[in-house]
Parts: sequence; C-alpha cells; structure tokens
Amino acid sequence: MSRVWAVARHTISEGVRMKIALVFLVLIGLVVLGLPFSIEGDSSLTGAVQSFMAYGFSATALLLGMVTIFLSRSLSDEVSNRQIFLVMTKPVARWQYIVGKWLGITLLNASFLICTTLTIYGMVRYIQRTHPPIDPTYDAAALKNEVLVARHAIETKLPNFAREAEAELERNVEDGLYDNVPNFDPEAEKDRLSKKHEAKWRIVGPQEARLFEFENILVDRSPKSLVYLRYKAEVTGYPPDEIYRSRWLFGNRFKGTPEYEVGTRHMVGRYHNILIPADAVAEDHTLTVRFINQNPHPAEPQFRNVIEFRKADEVELLFIVGSFEGNLFRLAILMFCKLMFLAAVAILMTTCFSFPVAALASFTVYVLAGARGFIMDSIDFSSADYANMLSSPKEFALNSIAAVYGALGWVIPDFARFDAVDDLVNGRNVSLVWVLQGISELGLIKTSIALGLAVLLFYRRELAEVSM
Amino acid sequence: MIASNPPIVQTVGLCKTFKDFWRRAKVEAVRDLNLDIRPGEVFGLLGPNGSGKTTTIKMLLGLLYPTRGRISVFGKAPTDVSVKARIGFLPEESYLYRFLVASETLDYFGRLFRLPARVRHDRTERLLDMVGLRHEAKRPIGEYSKGMARRIGLAQALINDPEFLILDEPTSGLDPIGARQIKDVIRTLGRKGKTILLSSHVLADVEDVCDRVTILYGGQQRAVGDISELLRERDVTLITTPPLEEETILQVRELLRRLERKDIVTVSNPRVKLEDFFLRIVEEAQAANIRTSGARRGGMVPEFLSQPTKSSAEEIVETLVSAAQRPKTVEAVRIGATSREDEPSREVIDQLLKREGAESDDDQPQAPASAPTIAPAPAGRPKAPQADRSVIDDLLREDRNRDAAREGRS
Repeated sequence: MSRVWAVARHTISEGVRMKIALVFLVLIGLVVLGLPFSIEGDSSLTGAVQSFMAYGFSATALLLGMVTIFLSRSLSDEVSNRQIFLVMTKPVARWQYIVGKWLGITLLNASFLICTTLTIYGMVRYIQRTHPPIDPTYDAAALKNEVLVARHAIETKLPNFAREAEAELERNVEDGLYDNVPNFDPEAEKDRLSKKHEAKWRIVGPQEARLFEFENILVDRSPKSLVYLRYKAEVTGYPPDEIYRSRWLFGNRFKGTPEYEVGTRHMVGRYHNILIPADAVAEDHTLTVRFINQNPHPAEPQFRNVIEFRKADEVELLFIVGSFEGNLFRLAILMFCKLMFLAAVAILMTTCFSFPVAALASFTVYVLAGARGFIMDSIDFSSADYANMLSSPKEFALNSIAAVYGALGWVIPDFARFDAVDDLVNGRNVSLVWVLQGISELGLIKTSIALGLAVLLFYRRELAEVSM
Repeated sequence: MIASNPPIVQTVGLCKTFKDFWRRAKVEAVRDLNLDIRPGEVFGLLGPNGSGKTTTIKMLLGLLYPTRGRISVFGKAPTDVSVKARIGFLPEESYLYRFLVASETLDYFGRLFRLPARVRHDRTERLLDMVGLRHEAKRPIGEYSKGMARRIGLAQALINDPEFLILDEPTSGLDPIGARQIKDVIRTLGRKGKTILLSSHVLADVEDVCDRVTILYGGQQRAVGDISELLRERDVTLITTPPLEEETILQVRELLRRLERKDIVTVSNPRVKLEDFFLRIVEEAQAANIRTSGARRGGMVPEFLSQPTKSSAEEIVETLVSAAQRPKTVEAVRIGATSREDEPSREVIDQLLKREGAESDDDQPQAPASAPTIAPAPAGRPKAPQADRSVIDDLLREDRNRDAAREGRS
C-alpha cells in the first residue's frame, strides 16, 4: 500500500500545486457564498434556505464532477509528458499506479466536498439568523421542523383497487354487460376498472370525506412529540382566492387515541405540512386520518370544489428520526460515492485516450448516469412495440438503442437513484440503508468494475508506444 | 569471475516493429538483437539517431513489449516489479515533475522504492550534494535549466542504489562540468561493481567509460566487443614526452631509421583539450567564489551507492573534476610504421626503456620521476601519458657517445 499511497500523495500534491484546488475553491466560493444574496426563493425563510441548499448542492455536484474529470488529467499528462517512464521503471505495479491515481483524486474530492458541505452548512445557519422573517414565530418553527430535520416518510396505505376491480368485473359478467362486446379482454377490463376505482378514490367531492391510513409509525407516542402530514391537493373549479378550506381529523378513538381536528386554509397546488401530536398514533403504530371537504370557517366564503389527491403527490406522514447535520453528512457520502465512480471512469478513459477525448467520454458518462432514468423511460415509451422489431427502421433503431442503453445500464449507474438533495431540502431522512446501497453499488461494485477495466487496459498498454 | 556469472541482461532474437493504427508494420526499430550484459561491466550502446538504442532500452525496462524474441533482466521478465527494484534509469530527457522541487522529486521516487523516511532524507541530501544542486534543492524543477534537470535525473536514478544502471544519453544537455562529472560518476560506479548500460551517440563519452560496446545501425547489431580491442590501432606507436629540442627530434628520427627503417610521421605539440581548458577556467572562478544560480561543482559520490573501496570519495571527485594532475605542455612524437606489423618493434621500445629508473635530470625538475608511458596504441581507458625526460636524454647521450666513438675509430 505504501506505493499506492506514494502515488496518491503525489497526485494530491499535483492537484494543489497546479492550482486546480485553488480554482475550485474560488469557483465554489463564488457560487456558495454568492447564492444567498442572489436567490430570492418564495421570500419565506424556509424557501430561502431550501433554494440555497438546492442550488448550492447542484452547483457543487456539477463543479466537483468537472474537477474530478480534470484531475484525471494527471494520468494522461504523465503519459504524454513521459514522466510515466520514470515512475513505471520503479518497482510500482501498474495496478498500484492506477489505484494510487484514483485514490489521490478521490481524497482531493473528499477534501473539496468536506469544505463545500461545511460552507453550505455555515451559510444555512447564516441565512437562518439573518433572513428577514415574514412571520417570525411561524417561519422559524417551519424551518426547524420541516427543513432542518431528518424525517422519515410513510405513504398512505391505498385500498386494494385490483380486488375491487375484480369484484366489479365478476358482477358485470354475471349481469351480462360484456355479452355483446366483441373480442372482450377481461384483463384489460380489470385494469380499466382498477384505474377507475383509484381515480374515484382520489377525488373528494364537496361534503365528502376520505380516509387515509398509515402503518409502521415508529415514533415516541408522547403528546410532546410531533408527526407531520404532508400533502398537496389540486382543486377542480379553481377558487377565486386560490385557497381551499377543509377539515382534517387525526386519531381513532376506537383504538384508544385522542382525536384532533384541524381546520386548514391552504393554497392550491402547493405542499403543506400539518403538525399533529404523536399521541394520535395508536399502540399498533398506525394512524387514522380523515379528510373532509368542508369549510371549517363559516365566516369565510364557501366554494363547492372537488379536491383531488394525485398519485404523483401521495399523502405522506413524516416523523423525526434524526438531525439535519446527520442528514447532511449522509448526503455528502452519497455525493462522494458518485465522485468515486466518476473518478474511476475518468481514470479508465485516460488509460485509453488522450485527455481531450478522455474528458469528453467521461463527461458523457457523467451525463448519461445523471439522465439514465429519463433516457430509459423515453426509450421505453417511444418503442412500445417490441414484438415486431424488424417491422420498420424506426422500430429497429429504437429497440437497438434501448438494447445498448440496457447493456450500458450494467456499467453506468443511475445517479438519480442516489440523489438525496431533494430529500435534504425537504427535511426527509437520507436513510442509512440508502447510503449503504450507494456505497456498495456506486462506491464498491461500479467503481471496482471501472478501475478493474482501467488496470486491465493499462497493463496491456505499451507506455512508450510510438503512435503513427 | 565476471564471465562465470549469468548476464544481467540477455536478449535473444529481439525484434520491435512499430505499427500504425491499422496494425500495419511501419518501422522495424530493432531487428534480431542478441545482447549479453555481464555483471560489473560498463556496456555502451552506440549508434546514430534512429538506430534502435532507445527502443532497446525501453524494451529492457518493460515500457515497450517486443514484437518477437526474448528479454531477461536479472533472469526475469523486464515487467517484473522485483527487477525494477534493482534498476536505476536515466531517460534521454529528464521527464521530471515541473511543480516539485528537487528534494521532493527525490523523496517521491524514494517512496516508490519503499525507502524509510530517514534513508530517503539522507540519500536525497547526499545525491543533491553529488550533483551540485543542494543550494537549489527548494526551487521548482520547472525553473531549472536543462542541465540542472539532467543532474536531478541522474540523482533520481541512483536513489535506490541500483545494481544495474541504465543511462540513455546521460550527458546530453549538460555543460562540460556536468558531462565530466557524470562520466566520473559512471567510472566510479563501474569501479565499485555496478553494471551500467550507457546509450549515447557522443562517442567520446562511451570511449571514456565503457568496457564493452555494441554498435547498432538500422536496428541491427553491427559490432560488439571489448572497447580496448575494437579501438586498438595496431599499426601506429605513440610516444609522449615532455618538450624536446629540434636536435633531439632529429636524432630520434635518425635512430628510428637506423634501427627500424621507419620514419616519424608527425611531430607536434598537441593542444590541451578544450574540456580541460574550460574546466580549469571554471575551477578558477569557483575558487574565487563567484556567485551562480546554476549548478555548482558536485560533491563526492555517496557511499550508500556501493561498498567503500580503497580510494576515498574525495579522491574520486578530485581525480574526476580537477585537471591539476595533467601535464601542462606536452610535445608528442607520433611514429608511423612503414610496414603493417601487428606490434611495434620491441627492440626500439626496449632501447628506449632500458634506462628505466635512472635519476631525473637536474635541468628538468618539473618532469615527473615515474617511468615513461609508452603504449602501442591508445587502448581501453586512456590515461594521461607521462614521460621521463632523463630517460630520453640518457638514451640520446649514449647514442651520441657511440657515434663519436665510431667516428673516432674511423
């Protein structure tokens, strides 16, 4: 390991002496320190902090990705400037050299990431203290309880729409409703009925109620503890003041819990959090929540709106499981895992290509990894008919591309799966399981594959090769 | 003893063909090269530009892979890491890291050999002393002149006290002091049992330091052998003496005609070598402590590089760098053979040497008291020839007496 460490130290020294570190720190300083003064957000304290963190970490990820690719120049420079002649004629195995270079870049990244994360943390606290509040009490509490925490989220338990659809289908068959339907497909009909039941369940008409049930709420059930209901609703027939008024009932007296009623006055199309005392959670760690589309404020105007809880914005119950600092640390680890993989890819590319080509290839992998989910979804959507691949050139091309991306998926990870910035910004827990997944999949498996390929190619390469 | 040991380097039928992008053969850089480098010898790899010297070295170091043939270094493949621990390499250009200072450079390469920190520090200091750059140890190498970087290149090649040293054009880019010093280091290391492969097209360098050479041309070996044998001029005898009077020269000429029926080809006062003259001027400047930001006179060859020998390191440096021991003015008499005999007439040499050990002439106190050096031809590592004027004078006096007696009888 001492030789690996020697190469790593040298790479770090090069990064520092060649001013790469300085340039990065200046850039990140401009971005991170300048953002609070240029971002307005929604003018609330919570919005300012959330916007700052979202932009700050996005900029950091982009800059660190570029710095990682640029640091890999160390290897291609040593080959093109022939310093490699001196290094590889010393008792250094080629794998030690490759791993040393990767380790050097990775450690530099780690130091950059630590600096940036600490700066962002400091700036969050600065904004928290200095941002002019709209409602001092509410703003401070919202920031503390909804952003600067680590909350675990549980989605509501949905009714079994498939079972309901199956029952209805049986009834309809018995009633002979499909007797005159040509080429009747029961599975398609069941699917249609299931979607109909779900759509019906998601809509709550005036004076109607909807039941949401949550399970596995492992929280301290004392009245001093809080749980958060987070939801976003759309309204059919937009109210003139963009506000819908409704009642929420929390708890289940049949399970021995107190019941709390909350009258809300919320903006349409935005996420809202309702704080509930944790003793509304039953002993079996369940919580019953009822939504009633009824105005609890008699003095205010009555609108008979239909409320819709969309699938994309599922109602969630959140409860605190950790601190903001811990969440920030785990987010940094996930970002670091991505950088570990990217450094390995950049090293792999520089073992084969000159720096400009290697940088382009590495950046392409970076972009593909970031947009893999989106690209795969697009391709799946565009090429719906796999059955007849040779039916047209378009089908053939789309399916071929899908096959190539499918193969790349084995090597190129889906960075979006390990993007925790949104969770941090919304005060959601970046779970340890998630972090361990990131470490194992990105940091160990995919990184090892890329480094292994780099070592293999480097062993085969003639370092003094004359290109003609 | 040397011959009984297995060779350090052995190549059999070594070939290297460079190919283009489409894998078509473009240049056959090395063809069927068979090479043996024995332990403890200084081996010269000679050839004009593009003759395959550097390609051969790169294959010996595992930086290029042979197209055909076999290579073994210390009995193993050149890519073997354990082999590299025993090698020091100075490439044709220095290829150092511009952002590191000299001491960091040596420390880095020392780390790659897993040398302990104390040893690295100690060797770094000593090697910087040796190459005369200790006072510039904290300057980034990017600011160094080519010659200074070359010196650091040599120092890094020695950081591991290598058993086998590969030097590719070691004196290129160096001033005469540096070139002389590197040659001195090579000679010293050679004396101390290191095996050295020296590639150069500066023939004087190779001639000065090598035991054996091979000459490559067009990737093929054209000649190989001991340098003393390869360079021996068998039809010429060179006698070097202190300055002679015209009359004396005429008498020597007459003597040769009479005894050998041969004539003197040239009689001249040889010029001192420009290298010696230059070094003398620089030494005078150094003695006057004139400031310079460049390399200074190097120090002793560090003892860690080999087992200590009888001659001290100080002695080595003095011998190598100083020109003080050389004759100040020398007149050489070059005797050309009228027939192509393999050896000069022993009779003449015996006559010239028969007064060996005679006392010095009081009129020539500056002449050294040692016996004259008379060589059939410069062979091997040439030494500064020294002659005893008194021997020649005695010889000529005897000759004059004999002639006078002969005249008297007649």
